Amino acid sequence: MRLFFSGLRKLARRPATWVTVGLLIGLLVLIIVAVGSGVNGRSLRNGGASGADPKLLVTFPGAYDRILQFITGLGGLFALIYGAAIAGSEWSWGTLKWAVARGESRVRYMLISYVTVAVMIAFGILLTFAAGVLAAIVGAHLANVSTSGLGDSATLRDLPQRLLKGWFAVVEEGALGFTIATLARSQLAGIGVGIAFYFGEGFASIFLPDIVKYLPFSVANASLVTGSSTAGVFAGGTSALPADQAQVLVVVWLVGALVLAALFSDRAEIAG
Amino acid sequence: MSGTDGLALATRGLRKRYGSRRALDGLDLSVPTGVVYGFLGPNGAGKTTTMRVLTGLIHADGGTVEVLGRPFRRGDRHRLFEVGALVESPTFYPYLSGRANLRELAASGAHVSSKRIDELLELVGLSDRAKDKVQDYSMGMKQRLGIGAALLSDPKLLLLDEPANGLDPAGIVAMRDTLRALAAQGKTVVVSSHLLGEVQVMADTVGIIAAGKLVREGPLRELLSMQRVVKVRVRPNLVDAAIKALASFAPAERLTETDRDEGWLAVRAEADCAEEVNQLLAGAGIFASGLESGSDLEMLFLELTGGQAVSGEGTFVGLDAANGSATVGKGTAA
Repeated sequence: MRLFFSGLRKLARRPATWVTVGLLIGLLVLIIVAVGSGVNGRSLRNGGASGADPKLLVTFPGAYDRILQFITGLGGLFALIYGAAIAGSEWSWGTLKWAVARGESRVRYMLISYVTVAVMIAFGILLTFAAGVLAAIVGAHLANVSTSGLGDSATLRDLPQRLLKGWFAVVEEGALGFTIATLARSQLAGIGVGIAFYFGEGFASIFLPDIVKYLPFSVANASLVTGSSTAGVFAGGTSALPADQAQVLVVVWLVGALVLAALFSDRAEIAG
Repeated sequence: MSGTDGLALATRGLRKRYGSRRALDGLDLSVPTGVVYGFLGPNGAGKTTTMRVLTGLIHADGGTVEVLGRPFRRGDRHRLFEVGALVESPTFYPYLSGRANLRELAASGAHVSSKRIDELLELVGLSDRAKDKVQDYSMGMKQRLGIGAALLSDPKLLLLDEPANGLDPAGIVAMRDTLRALAAQGKTVVVSSHLLGEVQVMADTVGIIAAGKLVREGPLRELLSMQRVVKVRVRPNLVDAAIKALASFAPAERLTETDRDEGWLAVRAEADCAEEVNQLLAGAGIFASGLESGSDLEMLFLELTGGQAVSGEGTFVGLDAANGSATVGKGTAA
């Protein structure tokens, strides 16, 4: 537990933690407020049936879904970068070296480091979601949209489970960044390669949808699709896996990534 | 492991390769308990590789290590709970304070009390700056924090790689006194350093390695007693004449120009022969402006390591002030 609480303290004081969550909140609030101001008085296109009308972002209870999609979409990329930054810095700054020289288990150290990252991701998602809901209320007032759907009981009942699934998907994406940076033994290389993988998978889904639908970012997005929500840009489009299958693959990718990071850390020669 | 009783640290036949380069080539170290052990060697000789193996950062290709009387193999990480180490330049979380860095470091490995952290900050003179972020620390402050970090679990065996790096003269003296005090308490301190003068003042025992092998090891006093040196200073333009005048007394392999520009010559001799050297020079009409007699670790080091660069590692090449051409150091045999 010493390592776990130490990990949390380190992340809580780390500027990257607050920059990441601040950027995500800032972008979400900006978009929602901009939408609220821009759609003032206009009615929903086709009654909102297409799901693409920006006004849905400030119309409850659908706004909950849109905010969550934003968090799991862009938040996934941010988690990837954050995970890479945390793992990479242990190598770049040489702080892993200290722990190993003090007799700490490399595997335990790396896995607990990621557990603390997962806890911070949960905190970030909750904070961003709360900020998003507040912004959506403000946006609804700006757009002259009723907020009567805010207390929709069916949506609120499903919300914890959907937040949990969203957290799990984002944690999987963060684990990929964490592992890539571990393999690269570098913060910058980890972030760079992680971003390349993220967008590479997105582009590849255009040409190889039947393969890409099994890849980590696609399954993370597909795992969040429900009857009322649509798949994100990287969910593999029409080839996206059913949510329950995607959830299994999210677990496989998450565990696989962490096992790889742990094995590599255990075998690696630490120099410099 | 045979013959390792009473040793705080022992390696036998330690081998390590980096690709085709042999970093350690059957290294046998025997570090007695309760001493300051000076671990010396030229750049690339294998000092840092040895430190990395001893702290579990890298794994040896062959050979054995015994730490505090017990085998230290892959997986025996708990043995390091009684070892403190500073390997290469100390690095920390730059956004945390010195105190916070020690606190988070203490969360790994052996248990450390928060009182101990305060004591160590006091010891290394960082109490006043303990709340400042490490990114604002000077190199010397980071080095002191690193020494404090190495001492966190009150180790029985302390491994320090170039601990004097970045320290000011007062800091070096304080560090030396601290390490001597730790040895007096029965702890063992292994100091890898290129500062021969510092090691000569501080160490009880030295081990000198070259090309990954131990070339000499033993109590410093014993080693130096075999390495008596008379240093004599003459006018620089009379250096050649002085070498000729001393030829009958000291053949070329015992005579070294330590600094031609300043006119310094060193004569290795079995016993104190300063008077004899002075007489010979005076007989040749050369009058010494300086004469020193004693033992010199630098001479011993250069003799044992050949003063040569390790293959692939290179060494410092000085510029000859007279003609601007590059020459390898001045410590070569006349």
